[in-house]
Amino acid sequence: MINVANLSCGYDDKDIINDISFSCDNGECLAVLGPNGSGKTTLFRALSGLIDYKGSIRIDDTELKSIKNQKDISTKIALMTQLSESYFSFSVYDTIAMGRYSKSGSFFSLSDKDKEIIEYYIEKLNLSEIREKSITELSGGQLQRVFLARAFIQEPQIILLDEPTNHLDIRYQLELIEHIKEWVKKENRCVIGVFHDINLSMAFSDKTILIDNGKITFSGNSRELIISETINKTYGINIREYMQKNLSLWNN
Amino acid sequence: MKRKIILTITLALLIIIFSVGIGSVFVPPDDIIMIIFNKLFGGNLPDNFNQNNISIIWELRLPRVLLAFFTGAALSSCGAVTQSVLKNPLASPFTLGVSSGASLGAAIVLASGISISILRNFTLPAVGLIFGVIAVFLAVKLASKLDKNLQSATIILTGMVFSLFISGFVTIIAGLSKEKYEIIMRWQTGTFSAKGWDYVKILFPVLIIGIFIFIYFSRELDILTFGEEQASAMGVETKRIKWLLLIVTAVLTGVSVSFAGIIGFIDLIAPHVARKLFSSKHNVVIPISALIGGMLMTVADLLSRTLTSPKELPVSAVTALIGAPFFVFIFFKRRKSR
Repeated sequence: MINVANLSCGYDDKDIINDISFSCDNGECLAVLGPNGSGKTTLFRALSGLIDYKGSIRIDDTELKSIKNQKDISTKIALMTQLSESYFSFSVYDTIAMGRYSKSGSFFSLSDKDKEIIEYYIEKLNLSEIREKSITELSGGQLQRVFLARAFIQEPQIILLDEPTNHLDIRYQLELIEHIKEWVKKENRCVIGVFHDINLSMAFSDKTILIDNGKITFSGNSRELIISETINKTYGINIREYMQKNLSLWNN
Repeated sequence: MKRKIILTITLALLIIIFSVGIGSVFVPPDDIIMIIFNKLFGGNLPDNFNQNNISIIWELRLPRVLLAFFTGAALSSCGAVTQSVLKNPLASPFTLGVSSGASLGAAIVLASGISISILRNFTLPAVGLIFGVIAVFLAVKLASKLDKNLQSATIILTGMVFSLFISGFVTIIAGLSKEKYEIIMRWQTGTFSAKGWDYVKILFPVLIIGIFIFIYFSRELDILTFGEEQASAMGVETKRIKWLLLIVTAVLTGVSVSFAGIIGFIDLIAPHVARKLFSSKHNVVIPISALIGGMLMTVADLLSRTLTSPKELPVSAVTALIGAPFFVFIFFKRRKSR
């Protein structure tokens, strides 16, 4: 689990995130919502150990700041970002295998355990048929599944998802979320995801925090969020009305 | 994969042997092999063996061809590393400002005529190397001041700005010393002419150490191609490893440029060919880029000394004339295959 208390962080001595607290228990999916520029990415950079912070980020009772080695941090937290093109044509298998970096010694060679875990997630995420294919030849949906498998085989306590479903069509968005939720339940770990799409965020999360101007304006059950007034204020539009209007288009 | 690697090594050896043989006097491959064995392991040559060929091959052509091969290998392996560290397929060691730094050092030595007594003939390369490494160090230091996370885009930008800034000084020095203008310009265009075994003996160990370090960090290089954030999240100490690899790249490129002048394109092309024919994994890309770069540079040098013989063409002109269309071809093919 992750426990964040009185966290402030930012760049060049200017705090973007101001004194926020939240937690995510094992077996839970937490969504982070907020308008552009609200501080979601900065929060993620602090949670990944990429920038300094004030306050506390505890992962299973270990303070993140006290872990000095990047390899040790990566055994606790994995990060999956939004889809981006790669020029370098690694095979699907080799790309996934990179996730074992933090668990291996010098001159990388995969142990039997490494191979077993890689094979398990290749099978699990339906990547067997494309295992030798270059990642430059994959569709967006396939590529994100490869990156998700790479995050899984890192065997972290927490996975941070930074808009992982961007640029994917709806089928692949839902498929990806199903894989994540299944992993959370089976491994009893937690996942924190940043989303722009509120519907998708609802499909993903048990709990949601809403961030605006670096502060949490809502924290609680995801269902409660959409019936609260806070979400309208944060985004500056009546979201419920907008969603219902859109839904009416689907009625005969 | 193994077959392809053996084929590449064999091709590299054949190119070296034939390049040594081709020139104003043609020396057949078996004679070359006999001379090399005789010089390395002793033993007798046949009585009717042409003695002139021994000095042509051993004193002139072999060190020149090997220097060309090792220079191509050094620049290409550095090219592969730079492209991955900066996550930019168009990056090259020259992007970091090594060549501009080395040019400034060389221009100062050539214009002033200074010679450091201990270094003798190596004054120019040594000063060029020091200036080249300092230029990269300053460019990366400036980048880290501007951007604490040392992101690739910042390094590329500061490297390019630094290069242009330093090139301004080179132009001023060349312009002020009119009688040395031609020599400075000729040095910049690159040549392997009149370089003996001393140069090979220095470049070879530096190349081997450099390639060993690159291969040691090949896993980190693989991961760095996915960007700094992703690499850090996977456990790579990105900032420290970037610094280390860029400094090794600067030293290796600096030695090569200081010995042979500025020869572009091969460092850019060879890694692309290696990735296309073999794999993107750096434990393969680095040695294969070195072999391909070595072959390309050897052929470029062969053309530069034979096409308009007895006059020599600048090697950089040959690499650019072959390299530019070749590069367009590779990119065109890649786009078409998408």
